[in-house]
Amino acid sequence: MKAIIGIATALFTLIAADAALAQEAASTISAGEDVPIDKAITLREAASPIAVEVHSFHNAILLPVMVGISLFVLGLLVWVVLRYNRKANPNAKQFSHNTLVEVIWTGIPIFILIIIAVPSFDLLYLQDKMPDGQVNEYEAGTRAAAFPNDFAPSRKVTKERHLEVSLVDQANGAVTTLTADDYDVEGFGDEELIITLANPVPDGSRLRIIGGRSRMGQKPVLGLFGKDESQIIPEPTVTIKATGFQWGWTYSYPDFNDFEFDALIAPRDSVPSHLYRLATTNDVVVPAGETIRLVTTARDVIHAWAIPAFAVKIDSIPGRLNETWFYTEKEGTYYGQCSEICGIDHAFMPISVKVVSREEFEVWVDQQLIDNGLEPTFSGADQLAEAAPAAPAAVN
Amino acid sequence: MTTTAETHTGHDASHAHDDHDHKPGFFVRWFFSTNHKDIGILYLIFAIFAGVVGGAMSGLIRAELAAPEIQVLTEFTSETKLVDAVNGTCPADAVVKGDQCEVTRTDTEREISAKNFYNVLITYHGLIMIFFLVMPALIGGFGNFFVPIMIGAPDMAFPRMNNISFWLYVASGTLLMLSLLAPSYGSELGYGGGWVLYPPLSTSTTGPAMDLLIVSLHLAGASSILGAINFITTIFNMRAPGMTLHKMPLFAWSVLVTAFLLVLSLPVLAGAITMLLTDRMFDTAFFDATRGGDPVLYQHLFWFFGHPEVYILILPAFGIISHIVSTFSKKPIFGYLGMAYAMVAIGFVGFIVWAHHMYTVGLSVDMKAYFVAATMVIAVPTGIKIFSWIATMWGGSIEFKTPMVWAIGFIFLFTVGGVTGVLLANAGIDHYMHDTYYVVAHFHYVLSLGAVFGIFAAWYYWHEKMFGRPYSEFLGQLHFWTMFVGVNLIFFPQHFLGMQGMPRRYVDYPEGFAYWNYISTVGYVVMAIGLLVWVIVELDAFVLRRNRKAQDNPWGEGAKTLEWTLPSPPPYHQFNELPKIK
Repeated sequence: MKAIIGIATALFTLIAADAALAQEAASTISAGEDVPIDKAITLREAASPIAVEVHSFHNAILLPVMVGISLFVLGLLVWVVLRYNRKANPNAKQFSHNTLVEVIWTGIPIFILIIIAVPSFDLLYLQDKMPDGQVNEYEAGTRAAAFPNDFAPSRKVTKERHLEVSLVDQANGAVTTLTADDYDVEGFGDEELIITLANPVPDGSRLRIIGGRSRMGQKPVLGLFGKDESQIIPEPTVTIKATGFQWGWTYSYPDFNDFEFDALIAPRDSVPSHLYRLATTNDVVVPAGETIRLVTTARDVIHAWAIPAFAVKIDSIPGRLNETWFYTEKEGTYYGQCSEICGIDHAFMPISVKVVSREEFEVWVDQQLIDNGLEPTFSGADQLAEAAPAAPAAVN
Repeated sequence: MTTTAETHTGHDASHAHDDHDHKPGFFVRWFFSTNHKDIGILYLIFAIFAGVVGGAMSGLIRAELAAPEIQVLTEFTSETKLVDAVNGTCPADAVVKGDQCEVTRTDTEREISAKNFYNVLITYHGLIMIFFLVMPALIGGFGNFFVPIMIGAPDMAFPRMNNISFWLYVASGTLLMLSLLAPSYGSELGYGGGWVLYPPLSTSTTGPAMDLLIVSLHLAGASSILGAINFITTIFNMRAPGMTLHKMPLFAWSVLVTAFLLVLSLPVLAGAITMLLTDRMFDTAFFDATRGGDPVLYQHLFWFFGHPEVYILILPAFGIISHIVSTFSKKPIFGYLGMAYAMVAIGFVGFIVWAHHMYTVGLSVDMKAYFVAATMVIAVPTGIKIFSWIATMWGGSIEFKTPMVWAIGFIFLFTVGGVTGVLLANAGIDHYMHDTYYVVAHFHYVLSLGAVFGIFAAWYYWHEKMFGRPYSEFLGQLHFWTMFVGVNLIFFPQHFLGMQGMPRRYVDYPEGFAYWNYISTVGYVVMAIGLLVWVIVELDAFVLRRNRKAQDNPWGEGAKTLEWTLPSPPPYHQFNELPKIK
């Protein structure tokens, strides 16, 4: 009887819940917060070049194919229902073979699958191979720049798309990308590339060359349609280790004396209501515009570390160290949730990543180090300068 | 394919003496049953019971998920707990029970129980629907009843083994229910780690719930293996004279392929869960990383069974849909051989795609690439089946009787579930979709809307044949349309939840997922009304229409398989003189 009353109460609660839901002044989402959007029917907004690729694969290839096939089948069904019902067609034909259509409906799906498979494999390998782009900068006045092509044999720079040549204004940091007309490249596939510019690097600017095969971002669909805003993602500069446990995450930064902290679900009253079950007690802080290597494992049972906006999901498995990466230039806080059932509080061990500028990141790292009783790494402008990428000597 | 019976049927042979059937008494007939039709009915009854339990569980799940916060399931948690009396006395507000006191549990304690209960619900919902609803209904129920008849055999090859198969299932179901009532995590009842039983979660709980679950699955597996051996032997050896494999009805083909999948995949599951059991009870370390084991090994073993399992669930429905489409279009099945070998191809490829369930465990990229390619290949034979069904209707003279509308519903919904499957096959995007509601939507489209629609299509198609009771056409149609609207309302919005990143198996979710979850719950209510309509269909058929004379073949010229040459319901023993197939 109690149970029946329970169910009845529950159902009434439900009916009331919708009304309450509509009325309850939901807390507003502020800028830079990556949270699920109620009533949305799209993928979560992409915040990294690889997520842009995932979105474009979904929106430009998979979704049209899926909707197209479903509508095609629906259309055929509607047609046979209208045309071949008993009234419209009283005498059924008795054919049961037609080699031509059978060949067609075997062949066309294979063709469609190939159309899907080509970008699918590209995307998969881009995601799975750790980016290894090398960034070199050269002083003003440089005319010909030597770029070491010392990648693994399968990752060597062998064509124009493996390079990104640009001028960086030293005053305001503005980046002007040079097109292939502005420079010549010699030595594709060799140990060293020589990039010769049409005009020397002007004063007040530096030449930046990024080489590598990890080019990703907005690309033309199937290489044919649309704009190309892809970029070569550099090799990782920061490593984070995420260790799942029942029910939270321990993060450590092996690059900085292995300082570590726990991130548990933020208590209900400490955050706006739309962030509850997403926000944590401690955000993972990473610098914008740098590639972050994430390694993950678990202490007790399997968990999974996921941030939809970065299109990243990787299982955290006891006894294994799984590796993935992410890269974003957009500052903000990104949220994800444990994505492998791990017991009672599976729904209550969120993941939050705060992306900040390099300067803020360094301040934060130093603060963490001090809090852990360790020597700060970055304090002082000298060390900051040292941390900047070194400029290799220019040829000539 | 031709299955026209040339000569006598069981009915014709039976007029020699009236009590030819020799039906045993009630107890012997239903409890020691060796008759394939009775066992088929028993399986169907079993599946209906399981479906009610599993469906009620999904009702609780949807009720809880109707809005954020944990609110519904707490109503189902115990209000009090027993604690030891301190110095022989209890707190003032406690009830004394021997040397223990019954005290009120705090809200937090009850919330923990509710969270565990939710995990238990999703775990047992999955296990019950797969092992105790779809498999017994399609293979045990319709397979047992109709495969022997369709191939012109008097019974299954091993009638007593058939009986063992069924009662092992009952034992297995009982153990599953016991497991639901046994402690697992602390004093919480039932195992709540998902139907896949991944270690180390499944090896870390101490209570007996998990052990009962393992033994339950062992028995279900043994039962299915025995059943599968029975089907293979029956189909290979007991076809009527003239019925070559290439003339055999597609439902028999589908059960044959399914039986091979069962025989080949279930032993692997048995091995995997035996290792779980020894890891739990005998201190082995197959899956214990701290002692050199590997949790991912279990996942490989499990999915080597688990992926063929999903084809085990859907292939018999494929067979049934072919018959229904052909019957109501009054046309022979289009591309019969292609249809049969498409199922063989799906069954074969089904064994070499398992790791597409594991794209996020840290497989090497080349391995993922292989599984992407292999998985997408399945779309080709599946496409052949969809298009051949439509081609069967093409040029036909279609009557939209209840089984036919279920079949057409099946074709469309299975297509929708199929195309999202192609999406999920791509590891690149599965890294985004994995373990989100997108996956939940996908597999419910192919199973809840695929296999279950197949079951209902078969149920209406063979209703009069099995039970000798016609049903109300109007109510049958009403049942279809309410269910159709309901299930789509439940599962289509779940695609959107998945795309926004909502992980599956979540008892509670951020506000941003509220709207579509609410719609999904509304859909459940519609579907539940549909099921009530089904109850009315059956009450109507079994009470109001009990004196209506059942026809041998209510579907007319299109129904050409052997069951329609028999009376409805078929005699206790059919084909005492074997039919000859031209």
